[in-house]
Order: sequence, then C-alpha cells, then structure tokens
Amino acid sequence: MHATEQPGEGPLEIRLTLPALEPYARVARLAITGIATRSGFTYDEVEDLRIAVGEAFGMLVVPPDPEATLRFACELDDDALRIDVVRDPPHPIAEVGELSTLILAAVVDESTIDGPAGRIAVAKRRQPSS
Amino acid sequence: MSMSAAERERIRGLFAAYRATGDLAVRDELVAANLRLALHLARRYAHRGVSQDDLEQVASLGLLNAIDRFDPDRGLEFSSFATPTIVGELKRHFRDKGWAIRVPRRVQELHVRLGTLVGELTHQLGRSPTIEELAIAARASMEDVLEAMEAAQAYRSHSIDAPGRGSDEREQAPLGMDDLELSAAENRLLVDDLLGQLKPRDQLLIRLRFYEEMTQHEIAARLGISQMHVSRLLAKCLDDLRRRTDTTAS
Repeated sequence: MHATEQPGEGPLEIRLTLPALEPYARVARLAITGIATRSGFTYDEVEDLRIAVGEAFGMLVVPPDPEATLRFACELDDDALRIDVVRDPPHPIAEVGELSTLILAAVVDESTIDGPAGRIAVAKRRQPSS
Repeated sequence: MSMSAAERERIRGLFAAYRATGDLAVRDELVAANLRLALHLARRYAHRGVSQDDLEQVASLGLLNAIDRFDPDRGLEFSSFATPTIVGELKRHFRDKGWAIRVPRRVQELHVRLGTLVGELTHQLGRSPTIEELAIAARASMEDVLEAMEAAQAYRSHSIDAPGRGSDEREQAPLGMDDLELSAAENRLLVDDLLGQLKPRDQLLIRLRFYEEMTQHEIAARLGISQMHVSRLLAKCLDDLRRRTDTTAS
C-alpha cells in the first residue's frame, strides 16, 4: 500500500493504492474517512462514506486476484470529497446490482458506476450547517 | 407485566391491524406497549460485562422481531411468544459478544463510549457532530474516533438462525456471472430475493436506510436504539448481503 499527498493551492489530492482483496476494505475505509475529517465532515457523513467506500470496494474486488490493485483518487475541497476508484489491471464489474446502486445513491450525493470499465466514482458534499 | 383486559384487547386489535396493513405507525404503538417487557428481560442480564444500554437495545430488537413474527390467531399471549424470542436475542448477544478481528481494548471502550456521546452531542448541537467535536468530547484523537467507528464492522453479531452457507441459497437465486445484461426487472427480483432472506428486522433496517433514505440518527430514534447500534447492524446487514450476492454470482 502506498499513499501520496499533494498539498498546495486548490483541492487536496490524495492517491491510495491497495491490493484488491477484501481484508483491505478496512484500510480503505479508515484512510478515506480520515481524509474526510480534514474538512470537518460530520459523524453521519463519515458513516455514509464508510458505507460508500465499503460498497465500492466490495464491487471491485470480484473476482479475487492477488495481483490486482484498487486505485483510489481522492479530491478534497472545502465542501466535498470526490473519490474515483478503479481496478488495475482493469476488469469489468461482474454485476452492477440494483442494491449496490441504491446504496450508493442513498449515501453519497453523486455516484457513477461504470461496469464495463470497472470504475466507480462518488462525491460526498459536506452539509453547509455542519 | 400484568395489564387490564381493555389494554389486552387494544393490543390484540393493534396486532390484527399490523398483520393486515403492515402499517409501521401501528408497529410503533406495539413497540411502545410492550417495551416494558423487553426492558424487564434486559435487566435480568445486567452486570455480566455488557452495558445496560446495549442490553436494552438488543432486547428491543428482539421485541421488534417478535412483533413481526407474532400471529395473534394462534391464541397465544404476546408476552408468552415474545419472551423466548427476546431472551434468545440476549443470549445470542452474549454468545456472539466478541470481536471478529483484533480490536485494542481502548478502541473497544471508545466504541462503547461513542455510542452515548454521539447521541448526546447530536441532541446538544441539533445536528450530527463532526469527528473533531467527538474527539474533543471523548478526549481522544480523531484517528481513534475513526477506528472506534470502524470497530462497528468488527463487532460480531451474527445471528444463530441465519441460513448457513451452502444451504439452499444458491438454488433460490440462480443468477450467474453470464447474466451481465440483466434486465432491471430481473435485477429487482434478485434484490427482493436477497432481502427476503434477511431477518425482518434487517429488512426493515435496509428499507429505512436505503429505500426511505432515513439517516442512521432517524432510524435510531424510530427504533429506540442507539445510532451506534444502527451502524453496527447496518454493517452486518451489508456484509451479509454482499456475501449472499457473491454466492449467487459464483
């Protein structure tokens, strides 16, 4: 696993590469919710992000391949966290289920599942009042 | 636990209405009318290393489960029917109490403490607290708070009556890897089928969270349990569903 952080003007961009294996879902959830806390996301929002990251991870780790990785590209600005995750080498998502689509739609503000490309992008906005 | 004949009759009427309509408002009335039984049973398991708050939540879930399964036409009093269900849920909680993965004691303790703090701060602030606010209140680092939240995932609460792996699940949902062009209708059937395999309580949680898009806080208030417990149960439900989806896809 490695992560690189590129501080500077504008949004903060963080990249994270993890083995495409289920046990690393926890690492992904912890790292990405850690990023979200930098922008003052609330407990509810962090819980939503945990579910979204777990769901995306679960969809992209099938079929298991010890050589494959998941590459997360996170972009954090003052009011939103955008996450783009793709499997490398690319592999189509075996099945884009309605439940997964529903779950993502319920917990983030924007979600795109590109089944054939094996790519999932989500965006979670911070509530202005929080 | 004694109640007047009029009250008993009212509850019988509520059960009939709930069975006929599935109206959740009626169900809430049934929960309120029988909550004392759940709390009474929870107290019997006090001082055994699990917080009273947790026990009451588990007992309340047992109560919900019993309400969903109770058939008033069988002539049994609800309390007679519900008691073994609630006690079973409590015993299961003790049996399964433990952590699926190794979680440091301080994180376990913080996890339990957060359950209360989240509720208190949400009430005080009138909104969900930030992780920083929680960390300050818990006198912990933000990383510790995140780890404690993640611990919900590691806290095992598998139910004893969940269908075992290798049972009839595959035959019930015979959809395979080749079905990449599933029609929306077929897909919905798969979801219905998967949800149908969950316990009524878990189906309710999934429906409230993802179909009605209620927040964890709203669900917690509605079911009378802590938000942390909702989080824990949702994590388990999603994990179950994911495993079942994997099974049907393999």
